[in-house]
Amino acid sequence: MERLNRRSFMKIAGAATGAAALAAAPPIAKAAMGEEGAERTHPTASVPEEPLVAYVRDAARGEVTVTSGTAEHTYRDRVLVQRLLRAAGRKGVS
Amino acid sequence: MSSHREAPSISLDPAADSADVYAFVSPDDPTTVTIISNYVPLQAPPGGPNFFEFGDDVLYSLFIDNDGDALPEITYQFRFGTTYQNPDTFLYNTGPITSLTSTSWNKRQHYSVSVIHSKSKGKKQDHSHDGKGTVLGKQLACPPCNVGPRSTPNYPALAAAAVHTLPGGISVFADQRNDGFFVDLGAIFDLGDIRELNTLHLIPSPTGTSVDPLKSMNIHTIAIKVPISMLTKDGSVPTDPSQAVAVLGIWAGASRRKVYVQEGHKKQKSGPWTQVSRLGNPLFNEVIVPIGDKDRWNVVDPIDDKGFAKYVKQPELAKLLPVLYPGHFPNLAAFTADRADLEAILLTGIPSGIVPGFQNFTSSKPADMLRLNVAIPPASNPNALGVVGGDLAGFPNGRRVFDDVVSIELKAVAGATIPLVAPSFTPDAAVGAVSSYLTPGNDRYQSTFPYLGQPHDGYDTPSS
Repeated sequence: MERLNRRSFMKIAGAATGAAALAAAPPIAKAAMGEEGAERTHPTASVPEEPLVAYVRDAARGEVTVTSGTAEHTYRDRVLVQRLLRAAGRKGVS
Repeated sequence: MSSHREAPSISLDPAADSADVYAFVSPDDPTTVTIISNYVPLQAPPGGPNFFEFGDDVLYSLFIDNDGDALPEITYQFRFGTTYQNPDTFLYNTGPITSLTSTSWNKRQHYSVSVIHSKSKGKKQDHSHDGKGTVLGKQLACPPCNVGPRSTPNYPALAAAAVHTLPGGISVFADQRNDGFFVDLGAIFDLGDIRELNTLHLIPSPTGTSVDPLKSMNIHTIAIKVPISMLTKDGSVPTDPSQAVAVLGIWAGASRRKVYVQEGHKKQKSGPWTQVSRLGNPLFNEVIVPIGDKDRWNVVDPIDDKGFAKYVKQPELAKLLPVLYPGHFPNLAAFTADRADLEAILLTGIPSGIVPGFQNFTSSKPADMLRLNVAIPPASNPNALGVVGGDLAGFPNGRRVFDDVVSIELKAVAGATIPLVAPSFTPDAAVGAVSSYLTPGNDRYQSTFPYLGQPHDGYDTPSS
């Protein structure tokens, strides 16, 4: 499992997926880009094939796994995890 | 069953459910090996209008270990795609399908075949190249399912046209076939019953006759015939069975993408290929591995099988037989040592010196693989009991389509093979009575590639 810092997370995620893929998951993308807050997207909006998917693998450890194409990377980014948890309506991890 | 619906998770995913694996020196072309893996088990032939098919979202793999390390040096992978000629009809076909290019055949599948050559070393199987092999063939047509006499009036001709030749003398076929596996499902899963032995069972009933429900069912087959020289470590065609290079370890796997996102009627996919099913020896996960560990077994690789060896050493079925047939297996009940005979058959291969003229040993590292000694030529008079029946070309030397693996493994577990490692052990007399009691019909198989018989057509099966 790879553990990279937040900057490298951005660099690799962006390079691997491009803007179109990031657009598939706006809340995650915005959170990853350091923007304040996250907006809910309409659940019936169309999504492109092969979406970028990020999921919190281990909230306590601040680990997020990102899949794009057949690639998978796991990062440790506690700030991102906190934002994702808030976006999901869950309590953050202290 | 061999591995039809054998584990909780994969029983819900028939397109990826590896049901049987066969590997044998091709009887009509003995410089080649044929490997077959079956999916989508227990097909009722009339099952339209969306007749059975492979999963477009499944990566089907055949793994070959040619140096005994339980890691694949050669992997053949198959990907499928489905197209419609006419999306505005509910029909599978709008008229008779008379050729693989027939315009009246609406829903059809094609596939690609690729190969990965690995110099795999280490303690883990490398899946990073899955789905990224060298393409050997693409847009290869599957035949249709066998719908009935109006829709598929000459099915054998359609199937024959779907045998494709690839570079290097490789032949491939993929689609519906007659399921060659046979077992009395209804009895064996009714507390281990064998109808012919009903009176001996713990819960007795009048003697009956074994029934084979699979004789009227179809399955989906991936078959590949490869020159032996393309599979052995040194490129040779071994003729000496004692040579280590003569033994190939073979197993099948099916993988899905790690993430599925259901968006309306569309299913989005992302992430690496992740194995959801595998199969080497018949009945291994089905009968040896307990239900709480079956799903885990499916997702790991043979090189990770050390943790499952305990189930082979002390198989549950060997403990059940004396209970289910009280008084008939006293010697088996008294034998408490680890089952080195089963370890050899299923996990390491049989070393030289046990069965005269035969070995299929790979290494002492426990790994569930079919082990095929390609230096053993096809039998001129095959015995469905394979090595147990004195036919060295049959299971557990690989597995032929007609091998009676239920009888072989039942007899082995019941103690028939213990004397190979413990000469003082005397098998119980009841071992001779343990059998599938089934003889499959001639329609189940054919003498040429892909060796499994024509599928039953949906109009005539069932017949009443």
